[in-house]
Order: sequence, then C-alpha cells, then structure tokens
Amino acid sequence: MFDRILVANRGEIALRILRTAREMGIDTVAVYSEFDRRALHVRMAHQAIALGGELPSQSYLVAEKIIDAAKRSGAQAIHPGYGFLAENAKFAAAVTEAGIAWIGPPPGAIEVMGDKITSRRAMQEAGVPLVPGLTDAVADVAEAIEASEGIGYPVAIKAAAGGGGKGIRIVREPSEMESAFRTASGEAVSAFGDGRLYIERYLDQPRHIEVQVLFDAHGDAVHFGERECSIQRRHQKLIEECPSVIIDEVVRAKMGEVALQAGHAVNYEGAGTVEFLWSGGEFFFLEMNTRLQVEHPVTEMVTGVDLVREQLRVAAGEPLGYGQDAIKMHGHSIEVRINAEDTTAGFVPSVGTVKNLRMPGGAGVRVDSCLYRGMEVGLAYDPMLAKVIVHAHDRATAIRRMRRVLEELNVSGVRISAPAALAVLEEEAFQKGEFDTHFLEGLDLSKPRGSEERLVAAVAALYRRHRAADRALAGSGETRRGWRERSRAMTSTYAKVAGRSAKRGKA
Amino acid sequence: MRYFVKVNGHDHEVVLSERLGELFVEVDGEGMDLVYEEVDALGQVLAIVGDSSFGVSIEGDSRRAGVTIAGHFYDVEIEDERERAALAAARAASVGGGLVKSVMPGVVVSLLVAEGDVVEEGQALLVLEAMKMQNEIAAPTAGEVRLIHVAEGEAVSAGAKLVELEVPAES
Repeated sequence: MFDRILVANRGEIALRILRTAREMGIDTVAVYSEFDRRALHVRMAHQAIALGGELPSQSYLVAEKIIDAAKRSGAQAIHPGYGFLAENAKFAAAVTEAGIAWIGPPPGAIEVMGDKITSRRAMQEAGVPLVPGLTDAVADVAEAIEASEGIGYPVAIKAAAGGGGKGIRIVREPSEMESAFRTASGEAVSAFGDGRLYIERYLDQPRHIEVQVLFDAHGDAVHFGERECSIQRRHQKLIEECPSVIIDEVVRAKMGEVALQAGHAVNYEGAGTVEFLWSGGEFFFLEMNTRLQVEHPVTEMVTGVDLVREQLRVAAGEPLGYGQDAIKMHGHSIEVRINAEDTTAGFVPSVGTVKNLRMPGGAGVRVDSCLYRGMEVGLAYDPMLAKVIVHAHDRATAIRRMRRVLEELNVSGVRISAPAALAVLEEEAFQKGEFDTHFLEGLDLSKPRGSEERLVAAVAALYRRHRAADRALAGSGETRRGWRERSRAMTSTYAKVAGRSAKRGKA
Repeated sequence: MRYFVKVNGHDHEVVLSERLGELFVEVDGEGMDLVYEEVDALGQVLAIVGDSSFGVSIEGDSRRAGVTIAGHFYDVEIEDERERAALAAARAASVGGGLVKSVMPGVVVSLLVAEGDVVEEGQALLVLEAMKMQNEIAAPTAGEVRLIHVAEGEAVSAGAKLVELEVPAES
C-alpha cells in the first residue's frame, strides 16, 4: 500500500478521499488554488501545496503543476477525484510516465469511454445495448436534420467530448435544430474545446440508472448494484438513491453483467460507473464514467463498502479478494446535493459568503461537505457545496429521514438547492417511485412552499428593529466598548402580548 | 412602528409598539404571542409562538432579508412607512419596461443583436454563460434595440443592465 498520496482536487470530494486515506494510515497531500487557501481540504491534509492562480485553469487543471507537487511532496500516487483532470487520459498517462501511480483506470480506457463516439463503437462491438442513433459526428445543421429523419424525433444532440450535461440539447422538430445546434456546439467548444456533436433517439419516460463497478488489475471484477439518478435537471442530478424501485434482483444481475462486459471490453481497472437509460423495461448504454461519482456514497451506505479504500487497494495492485457473492445490499439510501443555486429562479447560481451554518445529524445520516463559516462561494468553481446522505431499512423511512435532515440543514449567505429537494421528497409520485428524468423539470419550483409567512414577517420586523437599535447604540473610539456593554443590558427587554411576558435579548 | 413586509410576494403588515418596556407584536391586525431570542450574531433566532417553537435563520439588510424555517426559504422585503412613501414616488417616476437585466451572474459569450435592430418578443438577444452552461437571453417584448450595455467576454453580475429596448407605443 502507498505511504503517501496526493489528492488533485478540492471541495467535498477532496475531503472524502483524505478521510479514507487518513483512516488507512496513509499520509495525504492537498493542492490548492489561491482562491482555496483557507479551504477545509487544505486544513485537513498532512501536507498542502499551493498551485497558484485563482481559477481552475491556472491551478487544478494544470497537469504539470499537479505532477510537480506530487514529486515535491514524495507522493507515490495521485487520486484525481471527479471533474478537473479525472477523465483526462493525457494526464493519467503523464502521471504514470512520471513514475507515480494513477488511482483510476488506464489511459486507454479513459480515452475510449471519454469520447461518446468511440465509446458507442466499442460498446456496439462488445454487444452492449445502445440507444438508436449515429456513431459518427454530424458536420452541420443540414446533416443533423437529415440524420434525425432516419432516427426519428425527438432526438438529442450531444457533445462528443461531453459530460455533466454540457453541450446537450433536445430537438423535437427540424425547426428547433438550428438554435439547438448553435448553443450546444458553443457550449461544447467552451467547456471541452471540442465542438463535435452527435445525434441519438431521445427516449420517452426514461430513467437514469447507473451501475457501480470495480475491476482489479488481475482481471477480476464485481458490481455493487445500481443507483437511481432520475431526479435531475438539465442532466445535473439533484437526488440519487440506491437501490432503484424499478430494478428487481433479475434485472440487477443482468445490468450488472452488462456493466462488467462494458468494462472488460476496454480493459478497465479501478472503480467506474456504467450509466444506462432505462425505458419501458429496456435499458441502453449511455456512457461510462471512468472515475468515482459524486453519488457514490449511496452505494457505500447500502453495500457497506468504502469505495475509495477499494480504489486505493486496486491501484496499489492488490487483488479484489472477494467475488460477486460477497456483495450484499441492505436497506435504502438517498443522497441530496446541496448546490449554491436559487431553485425558485430556474436554478441560477448563487454567490456569497457562508455565514450561518447548521448541519444535520442523528441516526443514519452522513454529511460530505466542504462548508465552513466564512467560506466564499464564487462563480469560478462548481456550485456543489455538500451532499447529505441518509440510510434506513426501507425507502419510505429513508425519505422521511431525508425530509427531517433537510429541515435541520441551514446554510445562509447563499441560496441552496435544499428547498427544491424537499419539494421533490414531498411529492406523492416521488414517494410512490413513479418518476422519470423529466420529473424535476416538470415540477413548479418557482413558488416557495413555506407556510409560516406571518411568523416570518414578525421575525423580519424584529430583526430589523434590533439592527437599528445596535446601530444607534454603537458609539465610536474609546466609548464604544462601554456602549456595547450597556446596549446588551438595555436590549434585554420584554415582549408581551396577551398577558404573556418573554425575555428578548442575545444569549 | 409599522412595517410593510412582503414575504414570498405576499403583503403583511407588522406593528411593533413599546409600552412601559414591553414590546407588543401585531401581524395583519392580530396580536402575536411571540418570544424572539437571537441565539448568535450570525442570524440564528429562536421564535416561540404560543407554545410552538421554531429555529429560524435570518440574513440580509434592512430592506431585503432571507429567512429559513424548517428547510423552507422565505424571501422578505421590508419597508417602514417613510420608506414606503419614498419608494412609491420613485417607482412612479420610472415608467416603461424595455430594460433587460441579467438574472444571474455570468459572462456574455456572444451578442446576437446590434443597436438599432428590431427584435420580436422571445428573440434571442445574447448568450450568457454561467457555471459553464450557456443560456440564451430572450427579448421580453418586441421592440428596437436602443442601447447595449455589455460587450462580448464581459462578466456581469446579477441585476446588471444588458440591453435596452425601445418599446413601440401602444396604439
């Protein structure tokens, strides 16, 4: 096993990896941009190396800086987390060439699976079921319209180098093609530096089901069942579950087998996720994510496996040491992503400085978070601040537990996605398990659902009155401290209505 | 003191009156039996109404606040009588709504119209990129592009002026 690893990431995933490494007695090295110099992952690692620069393009995305940091710190391996350089085959190759172990799949597997066109070809050859569509990129709008006639509308146009919902547009009729093609291509160029687009059938009432797989370097592999990730908006997931209500033992075994088949076809090693679109009992290969997923904790909660630990073991050359029979699923787990966004205004990003922070706790609750008071949330980085995960013996209990958890959670300074997740959990259709990937988009989230408006009005008025009193009582210079003390004593007044007295002041 | 408080778009009136060191709270004409206790300096408040207890979080300034209770967010706008009169006068002075503002912070990727262009309602004016997602900003109404406030590649904040449209007079 490694003595020291470098985590080439930030945020909650950097912390997630550092935690397991520390538990395994492995020294940890964090890297950070100038923007992140006070971040939790920097404070929790054994060593921290500055990459310089405020933006990802000046720090976490600069392969040479990361490799230099690994050499300087004596790290024997690099864990890329997700995002940034995690699915960059050139980086993976450069790491190995520098004599450092890569905690991820071989560069060849990343390359084939990272491109939607080459991955479709490889999967077709391996006999993995695919969504009807083209395996070649389309050159222009005219070609896209012609191709779509053959496939049948609605179609999805997707960036060949895509991921994370960027560069994807749904086209329902030929007249929509031009605008969709232009924006998807523009997005693909700016996000991936590659504007190539391809087209496939857009399935009705699809569910996004993905299978967690793990391959060792000796040809052995297991799967850890599925995750249900249909609650998403513009292909950005919000709520994930394990297991899925629509998958039974038989289908689970079949999907798992196909997922392993997909991995074997590209000589996969390490942890990965094979994403499927499920529609009317059929399932089709969507893509393979050659890294740890954001939503991996729900699988961990249900199977009891630490996937990061398994990643480290496999990368160090250890054999799996167990077979498919050893993987057992217990109970139900749900994850909610806490993003900095205003979900009442179309999920627009929210920026600010985190002030108030109250994290949930209690039985069956796991919080993977990079939040701290004083944390700045900017636009240059991913808006995901935290993930809250619950586990319970069945789905209904897990849903009730997650609702309780979201009611406890409190992050101020930025708007967060929790109210939208709460709205989903309160929907009867969600509770019955009747939903598809359009469910979230179909929900009217523009209207806030809180029912305590009168109380809020009273609290807001009192809060404002207190602040005005604070300002009026704040003196200047030498007298300031004395005035503050006095103001505290004076603001301990009493509120009384209908014969009831109550102390009001600062505790 | 009387406050006009808009909570999630709904109007409420709050009267706070102090008599003999005691504070009386009235919401929408009804007395509220309220304990209000600030837990810390960050905006955590304990509120007890009757016997019902609420852990409240509040943030913001004297005009605009955000309140969270049990996972639900409440958007609050608050004015006292004097401010209300002043704002009403200011609102009356600025009529005509051809100004397109940014609803989110982002970067202007491309401008799709030029000053002097005549646009239809719903026509894309520009592409704004936020969090690496590109969004077309559409004209809220038909009109002529009078002024473009931004340039390609420019970073804008939420609420920033993007494009001014000259709206044809109603006939």
